[in-house]
Amino acid sequence: MTTEMTPVRRATRQLIQPDLPEFDSSGLDPALRTAIADLLLTMADDEFVVGFRDSEWTGIAPMLEEDVAFSSLAQDEIGHARLLYELRSALTGEDPDRLAFHRQPSEYRHARLLDQPRQGWAFTIARRWLYDTADSIRLAGLAASSFAPLADVVAKIRREERYHLMHLNAWLERLGTHHGKPRGKVLSALKALNPIASSVFAPIANEEMLVDAGVLSAPMSVLAARWRSEANARLCALNLRPISDAPPAADGRDHAVPDESFVWLWNEFTSVARLEEGVEW
Amino acid sequence: MTSEGRVALEGKLGAGADPEVWEVFRQEKDGDAMRHAGNVRAPDRELAQHYARELYSRRNESVRLWVVPRTEITDMADPDLLQPPLDRSFKKPGGYVLRDKLDAARKRAGGKAPESATESTDDD
Repeated sequence: MTTEMTPVRRATRQLIQPDLPEFDSSGLDPALRTAIADLLLTMADDEFVVGFRDSEWTGIAPMLEEDVAFSSLAQDEIGHARLLYELRSALTGEDPDRLAFHRQPSEYRHARLLDQPRQGWAFTIARRWLYDTADSIRLAGLAASSFAPLADVVAKIRREERYHLMHLNAWLERLGTHHGKPRGKVLSALKALNPIASSVFAPIANEEMLVDAGVLSAPMSVLAARWRSEANARLCALNLRPISDAPPAADGRDHAVPDESFVWLWNEFTSVARLEEGVEW
Repeated sequence: MTSEGRVALEGKLGAGADPEVWEVFRQEKDGDAMRHAGNVRAPDRELAQHYARELYSRRNESVRLWVVPRTEITDMADPDLLQPPLDRSFKKPGGYVLRDKLDAARKRAGGKAPESATESTDDD
């Protein structure tokens, strides 16, 4: 009997590549699975919170064009958060929406750097630049991850983050070298943010396991040092205050006592989800 | 684009940073002509590229953009140059416009214009 190879007609929606690759994680060691899930939650929460911080500029950015661009950055970050929550959910069986919108403020794992309120444009640019440079080092540390679905997702995210960083670099340079108020405001923002700047690299649970398994290329402290040297080279070139050498604090992602500003933001971004529990959109 | 807060901040950035207008052209797919898409305001070329990308190719709608400072565009709209006053219809692929000449000839011959006369012209 011969089997004829006839092309199978597929619905258009099946032809559209899903953002998240399908994968089988049944062979994954349970402890490693938990460690990966924890790592994903820190990254997802970072992107989620920074996305909502950015969205606060919608309608009030310095120029209409920047307003559109910055709102678009905000959407990109929320999109990255969605991917990362979904990837975690594929490992843990949780509902990604519940992760995003139905946790208490103390349960979020974002870096303390993102707790700070939006404040002025110069402060936003300084904080955003610190975060984006750190995020790009972290993503580079995951680009060759042995956990293939993560490497895949990171490759997609990096294509957008490359552009975000260019945008932030452009603004940091313009404000940082513009003598007078803009430069003064960037300088005071960098000074205020210095103690928490490295919180993106706060140690996470079972880091060694992730590094040994090749999920993450190096421990967070090593990534932090790499980030400091790259970021400081840029800051020094602009004659701006470099980030100090202190290693990231252990409690950089601890929100047992949530920051007042984050609680305000949490109230904002969960307000619709809390209108009616369990409603289908 | 002109809310007071925005204008105030633009003022603070100094005269050197006053945004100028950049015209944006986009190509929808490879091989297509570049078509004018619109414009953005930006203080310099780099930010102009960022804004052009956000406004005209955020959703995969372009494969290429051209971003041109408006001041680099030579504007020509002089009717003496572009719309010569004399009849140049003979230069068109359709040739002369015969309608008026035909009408005049018929009048001279005293004949009545045929039904189709008005539409037998070549003025397309």
